[in-house]
This record gives sequence, C-alpha cells and structure tokens, in this order.
Amino acid sequence: MTSIDVRDLTKEYGTRRAVDHVTFGVRPGKVTGFLGPNGAGKSTTMRLVLGLDRPTSGTATVGGRPYAELTEPLRHVGALLDAQAAHGSRTGRDHLRALAASNRIPVARADAVLEETGLASVARHRVKAYSLGMRQRLGIAGALLGDPEVILLDEPSNGLDPEGIVWIRELLRRLAAEGRTVLVSSHLMNETASFADHLVVLGRGRLLADTPMRDFIDARVQPHVRIRTTDAGALKAALAGHGHDAVEHEEGHWTVTHARVDEIGALLSAAGVPILELASAEGTLEQAYLDLTATETEFTAPNQEA
Amino acid sequence: MAFAPVFHSEWIKIRSLRSQLASLATIPAVTALFSALSSSDTGGDDFDPLFAVFFGASFGQIAAIAFGTAAVSAEFQGGALRLSLAAVPRRGRWFAAKATAIAVPVLAVGLVTGVVTLLVGKAVLGAKADALGWAEQVRGVVGCAVYLTLMALFAAGLTALLRSSAATLGILIPFLLIVSFVIGDMSNNIADLLPDRAGQVVLHATWDGAMGPWTGLAVTALWTAAALAAGALSVRRRDA
Repeated sequence: MTSIDVRDLTKEYGTRRAVDHVTFGVRPGKVTGFLGPNGAGKSTTMRLVLGLDRPTSGTATVGGRPYAELTEPLRHVGALLDAQAAHGSRTGRDHLRALAASNRIPVARADAVLEETGLASVARHRVKAYSLGMRQRLGIAGALLGDPEVILLDEPSNGLDPEGIVWIRELLRRLAAEGRTVLVSSHLMNETASFADHLVVLGRGRLLADTPMRDFIDARVQPHVRIRTTDAGALKAALAGHGHDAVEHEEGHWTVTHARVDEIGALLSAAGVPILELASAEGTLEQAYLDLTATETEFTAPNQEA
Repeated sequence: MAFAPVFHSEWIKIRSLRSQLASLATIPAVTALFSALSSSDTGGDDFDPLFAVFFGASFGQIAAIAFGTAAVSAEFQGGALRLSLAAVPRRGRWFAAKATAIAVPVLAVGLVTGVVTLLVGKAVLGAKADALGWAEQVRGVVGCAVYLTLMALFAAGLTALLRSSAATLGILIPFLLIVSFVIGDMSNNIADLLPDRAGQVVLHATWDGAMGPWTGLAVTALWTAAALAAGALSVRRRDA
C-alpha cells in the first residue's frame, strides 16, 4: 500500500529529456538509494512523484494513487526537496506550524520533530540565522512532520557536519526498520553505501540499475585478497604453485583476485611466507558504480550536462 | 481537503513575518499622513471635501500592494512553492486560501485606515468638512477599505502570474504614481476605466464621469478578478 511506483515516466523540458521512460518501484521496509550524477533526473523524478511537475508521459503513484489525489498528503508522504524552501525571516517553528496547519497536523508534532532533528534550541530563531546543516535538518523535520509511511529526501546529507551525517544515516535505518518506504537521492557513493539496502541508478534520465545494493556491487566488483610481505619472491612462488596470480601495486602491497582470504592465509602459512598484512577486500559501491558508468558511453561523453 | 486548514496555514505564514505586519501597519500611517497634507491645501475650484480627506489612499494603496505582492512572491523563492503545493496539491484551493489570507487582514486594516483617515482629514479641514454628510463619510470609509483590499489582491494575482515581486512592483508603482496621474489629467473615458481611477470614485463627494462610486468599485473588482484568475491559472498550469 505504501510503495512508490514509477511507470514508463518521461519528462521533457523543451527538447531536453530529463527523465526518459523510467520504470521502477520503491518498497517499504528498506532504504532505497537513488543514485546518479547531477542532472541525471533524480530531482525531476521526485518532483514528478510529488505531482509538482506534470509528466510528458507515464505515471508516478504512491500507494497506487497519484500524489495529487491524496487528502492531507503530509500524513502519508514526507519530502525534503530543497533546504532553502523555508522563508528566512520566519522562525523554524512557525515554518513547521504553517506546514502542519494545512494538513491538520497538531502543533505538538512540530515541536516533536524539532526535538527529533536537534533543532529544539533554535526553534524560535529565524531561519536566516541557520547554517546550511540546520536548514537541512529543518527540511527533514518538515518531511517527518506528518509521521508519513513514505519518505523522499533529495540529497539530505548536503551541508551536514560529520555528526549530522552519522545522525541521518541512523535516522534512515530506523525509518526503514519501522517499515516505512524511504527513497534517498545522493551523488555520494560512500555515503549511500552506508545506509542503502536497495539501489535505483539513473544516468542521463534513463534507468541504469534497480537492484539490491549487495547484488549491484557483487555483480561488478570482484572481491580480492590484499597482502603485504617482506619476501615478494616467496609470495609469488607460493601463489603460483596453487594457480593464483598476484599483482603488485605501487604502494607495495599485492592483490589476489578470485580468491578467499582463508584459503590464501593457510596457503602462505604452509609455505612459510612472512606476512605483514593479510586482508579480505570487499568491492565498494564506488567501484561498482564507476564500473557501471564506464560501460555507459553517454556518461563519458565530454559535454555531459550538469 | 477542506478550505479552512489551508486558510489557517496561509494565515500563519502572513502572521509570522514581521515585514508583512509592518506593511499592514504602514497602510493607515501613510494614508492618514498624506490625507492630512492634502486637506491642509484646499485651494482650487474643483475642491472635493471627501477626496481631500481620502486623498492619502493613493499612497496607502502602495503599502497594500506591497503586502499582497510579498505574500505571493515569497512562494517563488527557494522552492517554497513546491513545499506549499506538496502539502496542498489542490492548487486552485491553495491559491484561493492565499488570496483570502491576503484579503481579510487588508480589509480589516482598511476599515481602521478609513476611520483614522476620516478623523484626521476632518480635523485638518475644519469647517470645510461640514458639508460632508453621514452617508458620504460611511461610503468613504467602506470604499477606502474595499478599494485597498481590491488593489492588494490585484497585486497578488499579478505576482502569481509574473512570479516575481520586482516585476509586479516595477509595473504597478510607476503606473499608479505616474502613468495614472498623467493619463488621468488628459482625462477621457478610457482612463476612467483604469483600476485605480475607477475604484477611487467612491472616495469623491461628487463625480462627473459615467461611473458612480459602486460601479467604479465594481470595475476595479473586475480588474482584480482578472488578475487573480490569471494568477490562479498560472499556478495550476505551470510546473512548480
């Protein structure tokens, strides 16, 4: 009931196609990372889901209905699109009170989300005195105001300090654990890897991937074993004897692909190779993403639009 | 979605901005001040005691227009409109609530402005105000309030269409302070149909054009309705 469903969605601005026949679903109970470079169509897709922009063709629904048909939508869907949306001369609390009133949400909720986002102490300060990170928190507070089952956040980590980044990560995990549908756009790979369960990747308006994050990485990046030794000759000989191929790197360590760390460890120990470091290296989201984009020729075109 | 919660939300937005409250407070202050100045200079053959008293409305309307413009233009900054329309996807209803939240305080402040201006103007005019009957005085007060409200809404509709306070004020203020005066002095029937000239007939004790006080206000109301309709259409049709 609370899924976001995007079907064959297309949005053209003049001759530019910002979103190009995109189809995907966002399911409850997990955090879906919405990835892509700037200009890939992430924000446009979110605006289309929220009924703010009119699609050229295709549909976007929340819980099976177009957003615009929801009564008191903030009670079902919360969104952060732009941290600058709050008027600078209004206090954070008044900003949320106005938002709450439109959907008959009690004022107590405004105070609750100010508390939850760490803004209680500046609730009665004017927004123009807020840092970018505080404005992001206010935007997130607005998204949480109606206690919605569906949450869309566009680049929520923007401007947050390290403490804030840890906070948003834990918040997103918690919201998903509560069974909510969470869609979070980002162009930061490491950040997204820290909270996402599922990935939807856009490039130049087109859908490039819609898979669980683990599958996305494993399909593109080989796990490998990382080794440092004082006796390179013995290492090479021992590995070669078991059919492994070691590659030396400039930093002085070696990597072995298509191998597991417990196998390599036992093998080197039996051969008496002196080991300084032995580690299993998992593929990262960043590696997998770069692998994906390298195969998408349009991405590497020199005049990519920002 | 019901209308009342949306109106409540828009009312909180206006009430929570000091600049908006300041604009409202400026309406009676400016109107009364310029009325006092004009009432002290009563020479000329075409002296009209009622318009001498309410002359300040020509300047008070600038504050009313600034108020209506700011209330709408704030939505076109930093993605505020997206937030508003995500909360209230029924755009027509949202815009109606916005217009109502502009009209109600301007009408209330306009009535206060009318009374204060009448008292100040009569005090300055002295014996020359004796010719004013009760009916004319009431008409002046009510007409002043309605006129200011219509002009604030006219500006609000125009701002929704142009999506910019600079564009709206850049058109309206020179028009009201310069163009209308100049065209008005060349005086012909077409100029009498301009929103400000038609609406201000209600502030005169006597008139010689085709329109009376209430038909004049009705003409202004038509301008306002057209501006609001254009603004509403723009809000409904365009991507937020």
